[in-house]
Amino acid sequence: MTKIIDLDVKEKVYKSKKATMSVLNDFKLEVNSGETIAVVGKSGAGKTSLLNILGLLDRNYRGSYQLFGSKTNEYGLDKLAEWRNQKIGFVLQESALIASLTIEDNIRLPLMYAGPEKNAMAAELDGIAGKIGIKHILNKKPLECSGGEKARAVFARAVILQPPLILCDEPTASLDGENKENILSLLSRMNEEYNTTVITVTHDMEVADRHQRKIRLQREM
Amino acid sequence: MKIFNFFIKKIFLRRVVIAVSILLLILLSNYLIFISSRSVVSTMQGYEEIKQLNQKNSYIANLDPESDIAVDRITKDNTQRLYDHLKEEAVRYGILAEGFVIDMPNSQDMEITCSYLNKEYYDMNKQFAISQGEELDFGYDVDDSPVIPVWVGKGLSESYPLGTVTEVYEPVLQRNVTLKVQGILEPNIAHSNMYSLSSKQYYNFSVIVPVNEGFIRNADIDFQLQSLFDIILIDTTKDKVDEFAATIQDELGAKFNFCTQEENFEYFDDIFFSSMKIILVITVVLLVILSGIAVWSSLSSVRMMIKEFTINLFVGMQYSKLRKILYGYHGLLFLVNLLILLGITAHSRHGNWVRKDSYFCTFGFCGLISMDWIALLAVLVFDIILGAILVELMMWRIKKVPISLGVLQ
Repeated sequence: MTKIIDLDVKEKVYKSKKATMSVLNDFKLEVNSGETIAVVGKSGAGKTSLLNILGLLDRNYRGSYQLFGSKTNEYGLDKLAEWRNQKIGFVLQESALIASLTIEDNIRLPLMYAGPEKNAMAAELDGIAGKIGIKHILNKKPLECSGGEKARAVFARAVILQPPLILCDEPTASLDGENKENILSLLSRMNEEYNTTVITVTHDMEVADRHQRKIRLQREM
Repeated sequence: MKIFNFFIKKIFLRRVVIAVSILLLILLSNYLIFISSRSVVSTMQGYEEIKQLNQKNSYIANLDPESDIAVDRITKDNTQRLYDHLKEEAVRYGILAEGFVIDMPNSQDMEITCSYLNKEYYDMNKQFAISQGEELDFGYDVDDSPVIPVWVGKGLSESYPLGTVTEVYEPVLQRNVTLKVQGILEPNIAHSNMYSLSSKQYYNFSVIVPVNEGFIRNADIDFQLQSLFDIILIDTTKDKVDEFAATIQDELGAKFNFCTQEENFEYFDDIFFSSMKIILVITVVLLVILSGIAVWSSLSSVRMMIKEFTINLFVGMQYSKLRKILYGYHGLLFLVNLLILLGITAHSRHGNWVRKDSYFCTFGFCGLISMDWIALLAVLVFDIILGAILVELMMWRIKKVPISLGVLQ
């Protein structure tokens, strides 16, 4: 097993005018390739902060982070963007879609920045859309879709480039039983077929149980 | 290019109000810079021309604003005596008289006017450059010589090429004469109004007639009188000038002021430079206000489009790419504005051709002349600076929003 994540956060501080709050104090995480991990914990425990750090969206913390053997703290903003595109699929909440684009254009967005060698991945769109049941909304705008449909579109965008690491923030929160199952099945299939590493933040213990490892974050006192 | 097109079509142009308001703000500031720069350039050109005429120990005539002139009581004897007086006193003078219509059919069907200047004026004023032909010949004898050598503007070079000899009714001599085209003026040769330096008339459809003593003697009273209004007495003394002013008073019953080089420069400094300063100050103040509004609009547009920007950054767009896109987008806006300005200017210049306004017809790409291009260059420089400020401020604002928050806006 190859270690793909080696995270050592000394402290992540949030400052506001009224208060200062720190999360992930002396938090360490090592993840091997192909692992599936669920991150659970109460609100304010730092689950989303952890995901943002892992997803190279936040570098404003004390500590170090090695991803696929590279020290990400030394990367410039452009290199981080390239890695977000090539290495990481990030499943966010439903609202993270551009309203003026169709669902298809939203899903294709990462392809635009992936370079010509990834053009073939565009063919995957139909397959993924079929598997998670959004083929019928590809030409619609996000405002014309339900919450569940938008959540699935966000999921499709995250996996279109078949990244080796998928980070999910409450991926099934707005889905009904059938669609939730479709998403979880697709994640496990990607994990099995492509050895994709999956890290999921969730409050849903049923979802958490479908992962190989669970990490519980505690709220700092 | 694909990403740039995507941003233009699917992000920026979807916010039509923002795009149009920024476009209009830039157009307004660009137009302001354009007209101010053109006015300043034209005034400077006029000032350069006047500097050549306003020499040491020379005096430029100007009818006193308080003085009336009873033209109908003046005879040619009166005016001729003034020129004779100058000859007797050995005072050299430069004259330029314009606006005498001559019947010369031409391919553009323009009304052709003659401009008359004597050798002294020609030597002082370096404006007249030719593209073909020879120097003006002032030595002809209007009484004996059957041919008057002239220069014609570029607009007449097709109908009256170099060497053309044509018989016409001469409006000043009031008889038929033969004109020989001895030179073709360079395009857009102009003369500035001495008391409104930014105003110009172009000689593209003019005939430049060299004038000598014999010609003046044979000319009609209108010519002799008009030549006096801006006559320049060259390299002479104050006494002689006062004496000539007194002679004018006797002959014409009008008071003429003759201003020295210093007085003229003081006048130009007072009137033109102070008005130029006012133009510049107003322009700068308005530009600061318009630029401020443009900055505010741009930052507002970032607030409105932050989700679009951050989602693209989230899925892998690099900040440097976004910066390039913003520069490209603003470059496109500025290009559209420059083309609009070019169109307005070309339309205005073309209007002179349509109206057959021969004094203002100009040659050049779309009819634009050097001062237009200089003004457009000034606009371009301003646009580059404003564009850089807007883009860098937008980037600063975008970077301030964490991607993880921006995508959920």
